[in-house]
Amino acid sequence: MAEADRAADADDRLAAIWAGLDVAPNGILVWGDDRRLLYVNDRFRKTCDLPASVGMTYDAFVSAMARSHECFLPCEPDEWEREEIADFGVEKQRDYLFATGAVMQVTHAGSRVGGMTVTFTDVTAIKRNETALQLAKEAAEATDEAKSRFLRAANHDLRQPLASLKILIYNCIREPVEEHRSDMLHAMGVAVSIMEDLLGALLQIGQLDAGRIQPRITSFQLSQLFERLDIQFRHQAEEKALRLKFVAPRGTIATDRALLERILSNFVANAIRFTEVGGVVVGCRREGKSLRIEVVDTGRGVRPQDRERVFDEFYRATEERRMQKNGLGLGLNIVKRLAELLEHPVRLRSEVGRGSIFSVTVPLGNIWHSEAGREVEISEAVAGEFVGTPVILVEDDDILRETMTQLLRRWGIDVHAAADESEAIRLVEGGVVPQLIVADYNLKTRTGVDVVEGVRQAIGAATPAMIVTADAEPRVLEGIRAAGLPVLVKPVSPPRLRVLMHNLLFEPSLTKLSGR
Amino acid sequence: MAASQDVVPIGSMIPLTGPSAADGAEFRKGMILAVEELNARGGLLGRPIRPIFADTCRQTAEEVVGAARWLIEKHQVHAIVNGYNIGPQNSEYEPIADAGIIYVHANTLLQHHDTVMSDPERYFGCFMADPADYWYGPGFIKFISWLRDSGQWTPNSDRLAIISGSKPYSIVIANAMAAAAADFGWRLCFGPKIVQTPTSQWRDVLDEVRATNPAVIANTHFYAGDLAHFQRQFSEKPMDCIVYLQYGAMHRTFTDIAQEAAVGVIVSSVIGLLRDDMGKRFEARYNARFGEGSTATIGCQSYSNMHHYAVAAAMAGGSGPPGDFEQNRKVAFALKGMIYRSVHGTIRYHPDWQAVVPYPVVTHDPSLGMPHIFYQIQDFRKPLSMIAPEPYNTERFVYPPWMSGRGTAVRPAPPANSRGLTGL
Repeated sequence: MAEADRAADADDRLAAIWAGLDVAPNGILVWGDDRRLLYVNDRFRKTCDLPASVGMTYDAFVSAMARSHECFLPCEPDEWEREEIADFGVEKQRDYLFATGAVMQVTHAGSRVGGMTVTFTDVTAIKRNETALQLAKEAAEATDEAKSRFLRAANHDLRQPLASLKILIYNCIREPVEEHRSDMLHAMGVAVSIMEDLLGALLQIGQLDAGRIQPRITSFQLSQLFERLDIQFRHQAEEKALRLKFVAPRGTIATDRALLERILSNFVANAIRFTEVGGVVVGCRREGKSLRIEVVDTGRGVRPQDRERVFDEFYRATEERRMQKNGLGLGLNIVKRLAELLEHPVRLRSEVGRGSIFSVTVPLGNIWHSEAGREVEISEAVAGEFVGTPVILVEDDDILRETMTQLLRRWGIDVHAAADESEAIRLVEGGVVPQLIVADYNLKTRTGVDVVEGVRQAIGAATPAMIVTADAEPRVLEGIRAAGLPVLVKPVSPPRLRVLMHNLLFEPSLTKLSGR
Repeated sequence: MAASQDVVPIGSMIPLTGPSAADGAEFRKGMILAVEELNARGGLLGRPIRPIFADTCRQTAEEVVGAARWLIEKHQVHAIVNGYNIGPQNSEYEPIADAGIIYVHANTLLQHHDTVMSDPERYFGCFMADPADYWYGPGFIKFISWLRDSGQWTPNSDRLAIISGSKPYSIVIANAMAAAAADFGWRLCFGPKIVQTPTSQWRDVLDEVRATNPAVIANTHFYAGDLAHFQRQFSEKPMDCIVYLQYGAMHRTFTDIAQEAAVGVIVSSVIGLLRDDMGKRFEARYNARFGEGSTATIGCQSYSNMHHYAVAAAMAGGSGPPGDFEQNRKVAFALKGMIYRSVHGTIRYHPDWQAVVPYPVVTHDPSLGMPHIFYQIQDFRKPLSMIAPEPYNTERFVYPPWMSGRGTAVRPAPPANSRGLTGL
């Protein structure tokens, strides 16, 4: 009885142990020394869709697992099966990716009595974190590397516009002719904007190295890009007495405008750098649905053995190193990487001593989708009927003069404002040739009618003119009209002003209708 | 409530007399058809709509402003919905902004942008339901470049001659063409020269143009009769070039006067009836209502503007009489927010301009812009051929009969083409 009680008690305790093991966080399989399964817990059944029943042999279990397609095996199923069977009782640990997406760490441990316990532990979350950490580490390393590349490339690429700027500043200081100076200042402005764009592009290249750049493909006219390149390089070519010619292409291309500009500016910069006599021509050839853009120079050429390597990072030909030419040898490497990104074939043909042709082939685009630079922000200042029309405005009230000037400028008018007659005459003497005079009537010393007369004399022509007045007295208005001048009463309505100005400038026969 | 109190009065300022009376008659028909259709479906939230027409005659500032005041003060209109009026230069915006009502027109003027953007609060209700005249410029330059680059036409040079009429509309278009030309490989060889219009005498300016031997002549004057004389005088001694005539050459009057000389002329409009199912059904309804001699492509403008306004007012919970700024602001908000596919393409108001955006010049998505349509007169007795843009075109460009050695409509591919283009 007591023995029976003890046996029952032992059974209860064993059942309690099994029940406890059933809810352990791991799947557990216990094999006897006869390689038969003694115990499998509930957790295993719930997490792994593998056949495991008490009494089955270890070999049968391994075989079933090898062919279950439930998990990825590190080698061929037969080989894996052989290894696993041979390793019964041997301590080992391996991770398996299951079809459910879970990663299981499977641990084998031999028991004192010649059997073996196998545990299945879900390590999915841990593995995910590890992967994320690894990716973050790689990204950080790539960013670091990109930063270094960026600094090298910045040094290289900013030299081109900087060199232009230096030449321009030097020439500008000595330039006596106002017109030439203003041309140079304009070119300096362009050089600075190119540097700005370059910095932007270089930042992109940093991202390119980190694999983060997405080209923005648009359709546009190549001629716009050629114009920018011409301005960027004209002065450098002139310095070396080289001809630089852009053959204006027709047609629309579809690519990333900024990245293509980077490719071409590297080609042109190289062509100028390595050409001593002759010139550089940039032109295009149509090839089916693509356009091949060629930069042709009469420089020293590239030796056949160097033709592949010129596109490598930091590569410089031997004589170039000897001559300590500027540049770090990054330009063509940047070209290569950009061209790969854009999927544009890049080619080099060359003859030593005769010159080289670097080319990039880009797809043709849809002309209807072509961006014409000015379209996004249209206003009357860009395209109105009065664009560029010179007008002399005489108004002694500072605030009114300022407001009126702003209004007229918004319509694209070239406003020359004066506070009184003598100032207006000085403007004329200084070279302003107005197409229209707008004068206030109640000026401090003279009437607007007198001022118009004076300014017209200074110009030497009966330039169209109009009067604005705050004095709506019929006698005053009659007097102005009697002098043959149309008049508007303040506050001036912009549409009325516009109609009157239009008529005076373009349809004088209508002035009588609208000037009243 | 008496039925008369329920009526929603909508004004329409239309040149019923004067030089644009032909267009005015169509704008009136478009309004009538739209209002009849709307009222047949219950009007504006159950209230019948009543159109009130004001004659703008020669469309001067005085006449148009007078019409706006009359509609607002005498008829208390909730909105003014038009076709176009040239001449007032936005001076009609003032009484409309003072009254706080909605104004929808197709004036096709760049200065609309300037006025609205100068004070968006004040001009909240002013909408231009077609693209500004400016867009004709880049649109035209792209069109001739497309003919060239797609091999449909091989120009004899890159020279472009531009003649402008003396109205702001013509000058703006001519300037915009000139501004876009170089980017697309065209060289301005003549103009833009402003000719005092109206005129029927073009021989002097044609002689000047002839001396420059252009590949393209564009005339941005837009009176049908004047342009017909231009084309007849051009035909007396034609040049080997494309002839583009602004808008007016779409009119029956143009072909009536120019006859055979009209064949080959290119003309465009930033607003015009499409030839798809919706367009054809509209045209059939329009002709059934007003007779076969009617011009649905003009009438569709006021028709669509009225429909769009009515839908927006319904969305806003109703329209507002003069002085009800609050309600009309809601209507304006709905007009701005709702993309509306009319029978002549999409009305989508630019958020700042309160003007329609053209396709394909500004937006590349035909569902977001109103098509700038290019036509060619291929048979002067038949409707114009719609040759661009895709996906709306129904015909293809053919060589004008006056072009040297290219008298046939379909030309074989030239044997040696230096540009590698394929002739059609």
